[in-house]
Amino acid sequence: MKRFVKIAASLAALVLSATGTALAEPAKGGVVDVATIGEPPTLDPMASTADLVGIVTQHIYETLYTFDKDWGITPLLAADMPQISPDGLAYTIKLRTGVKFHDGSDMNSADVVASLQRWMKVATRGKQAAEVIAAVDAVDDNTVKITLKKRFAPLLALLSLNNAAAIIIPSENAKQDPLTSFVGTGPYMLKDRKPDQFIQLARFDGYKSRDGESNGYGGARKQYLDEIRFVPVPDANTRVEGAVAGQFAYVDALPVESFDKISSGKTAPVILKPFGWPVFVLNTKQGPNSDIRIRKAIQAALAPNDMLLAAFGSKDFFAADGALYPEGYAWHSDAGTEAYKPDGDTEAAAALVKEAGYDGKPLRILTSRQYEFHYKMAQVAAEYLKAAGFQVQLDVVEWATLTKNRTDPALWDIYITHSPFLPEPSLTGIMSDSSPGWWVSDRKHKVLDAFNAESDPAKRVQLFADVQKAVLDEVPAVKIGDFNALAAQAPTLKGVTPAPWPYFWNAYLEGK
Amino acid sequence: MLRSILNRLLGMIVVMALVVTIVFVIVRVTPGDPAAVMLGPDASAADIAALRSRLGLDGSIAEQFGRYVLGVVQGDFGQSIFLNEPVTTALAQRAEPTFFLTVFSLLIATAIALPVGILAAYKRGSIFDQATTTVAMFAASVPSFWLGLLFIQFFAVRLGWFDTSGYGGPDASFAVRLNHLVLPALALGLVSSALITRFTRASMLDVLNDDYVRTARSKGMSEWRVVLKHAFKNALIPIITVIGLTAALLISGAVVTETVFGLPGVGSLVVSAVLRRDYPVIQGALLVIAGLYVLVNFAIDMLYLVVDPRVRY
Repeated sequence: MKRFVKIAASLAALVLSATGTALAEPAKGGVVDVATIGEPPTLDPMASTADLVGIVTQHIYETLYTFDKDWGITPLLAADMPQISPDGLAYTIKLRTGVKFHDGSDMNSADVVASLQRWMKVATRGKQAAEVIAAVDAVDDNTVKITLKKRFAPLLALLSLNNAAAIIIPSENAKQDPLTSFVGTGPYMLKDRKPDQFIQLARFDGYKSRDGESNGYGGARKQYLDEIRFVPVPDANTRVEGAVAGQFAYVDALPVESFDKISSGKTAPVILKPFGWPVFVLNTKQGPNSDIRIRKAIQAALAPNDMLLAAFGSKDFFAADGALYPEGYAWHSDAGTEAYKPDGDTEAAAALVKEAGYDGKPLRILTSRQYEFHYKMAQVAAEYLKAAGFQVQLDVVEWATLTKNRTDPALWDIYITHSPFLPEPSLTGIMSDSSPGWWVSDRKHKVLDAFNAESDPAKRVQLFADVQKAVLDEVPAVKIGDFNALAAQAPTLKGVTPAPWPYFWNAYLEGK
Repeated sequence: MLRSILNRLLGMIVVMALVVTIVFVIVRVTPGDPAAVMLGPDASAADIAALRSRLGLDGSIAEQFGRYVLGVVQGDFGQSIFLNEPVTTALAQRAEPTFFLTVFSLLIATAIALPVGILAAYKRGSIFDQATTTVAMFAASVPSFWLGLLFIQFFAVRLGWFDTSGYGGPDASFAVRLNHLVLPALALGLVSSALITRFTRASMLDVLNDDYVRTARSKGMSEWRVVLKHAFKNALIPIITVIGLTAALLISGAVVTETVFGLPGVGSLVVSAVLRRDYPVIQGALLVIAGLYVLVNFAIDMLYLVVDPRVRY
């Protein structure tokens, strides 16, 4: 209860600080240190889907579109939403004029075409788009046209994401692979970088912000801070101590059990609710889980409430929820969720195990302690699976090994991962036939193709309910629930909106 | 003499060749893939294969090994997969914190261990001796990173005397950077002092009962001259050995401490390289650490010559 009051108080404080921004224009100035979980593997957001890369580089580069506070798509470097031809195949995009790169040159359609072509060649999400893109052309200096081979509604979401991102860079830099010149159009530019020590970003004076109000990642981007420094602090305990000591303005990714500790005064907890969803991905290609009855048995056997409690310690930080998107998202639906049993149904699971003629070969759960909550969920899950009649083998490896081993269908039956709630559902791993788990079925293709071809947002919401129902019926993966993320923020830092990829334009230091 | 030194040098080369081979094989045999790590969780198998080929990881192990050895012989340790710079540059950039951390830790360790160890031996059986033995036993059992976390809690969080982690921002002066080393050096120094104290005490006990010490005393020599000049000098050989080994351990063993304190040193470079499977960096860093180890051992042997005229090679 005490904790609930604290959470309520911190949420209230956030609301107050958000309304405070509207009252008086904050003064410019100040440097903030942001503690991150480590050194990003690259500063080229096209080359990686890692969240950390997106968090840092979204300040340097910009995309044609981005997301507003409700995860709707809103223009960023594009002047407006695209003009889509009646057949849904041609997207004509007007660019904003007077936008400058950090090297002083002007952005024009040639840069956009070269960047998008690099994106289609280099980026994981770009390659996905390249399969349906027929051509990207410059119509005039400030207009580009994307022509599709078939209707593909997720295109704008792909152009908006900040990882494997369709960033716009100068056309001559677009030839680089790997990228060596880190030049974008963003509100902050790279000033200095010492790997494992800091990444120093400084205000870009030539930045041209959109007009109007700020809205999520979209709208106006204010440059109050002089500098943003990302400091890698790989040890989670040290991050907690750094937050408590007030050394950082913002500390990302804290263990939820540190909540009380970081409510000390020099820093305050920030809860992002909900942040993401832990998921057990099942290997539908090979082994026992190629049998849908075994997959349904696993779905029934798992008891999300107990697993989440072991993983996150307190109900304040999770919710047992079978819907792929929680309430509050446009995509939320209850379709098919009756198959999700918050406390498990051991009897039903045992019956299914029997019916499928399970041969007693151990289910191999591939997991890692890189994320302690994965491992804790695996331990609880193993007991529930055993109760339903399964043999279970936990394969605990470190993360790099897991990312390698999961690509080999011979090595695992279940692997554990998690994901933020992606603004476009079709980008979720299981939706791709080739992502580990290899879920392929006629029903999947039918519902997903219908969903991807529809461009009307309201109709897409309805079609997504069919997709969700297919996921819960065919069980390519078991979504365990929703979990919240914890960060810490200095009381003097204002204007930061809790977000899965925190950003620090619009942020300012009080008393500057 | 010269011949035996040459022999030692030759032996060092053999050791290094073994290290190169073993490290290369272990690193490649470990599952995990730098390309998969680099491209992130949602990358496709085809992307990963393409990147592997660009990184030169698609040839046979023998072929890769041949290329690597050829480079190492010419002083080229390869290019870091993640940092976009040569391994030698990456190592040189991380040398400063690791070097000073080692030096400071060693200074702290010897500054505590030598006087305490000598005094404990001199006052054998006293309460001071017993307390020293107990505390040293305790300190030797404490992991330095845990002690480091306690120091962070107390000195950085509660008292606010130091930053909790890091090595200073872009404008940090040399003094500010060194200030970031105080807590980790204390943690490592205290833990390392335990072993040196115990060796000093034991070695001093051996010589304090020798005939020449009694002779020196009976000549009417002052007590501190007997202990420090006659006894200590003769007790030095095992002490030098253990200090040298501690130095070598600190170079490589600060890995965890560096990570806890977020220091951009060689140790944390090794950790991040292992987690990302940055093969050239792992190989280069381990090679350099092994090289320093071998050199320290060689230096200890040479020091014996200086300290003890009876030693002949």
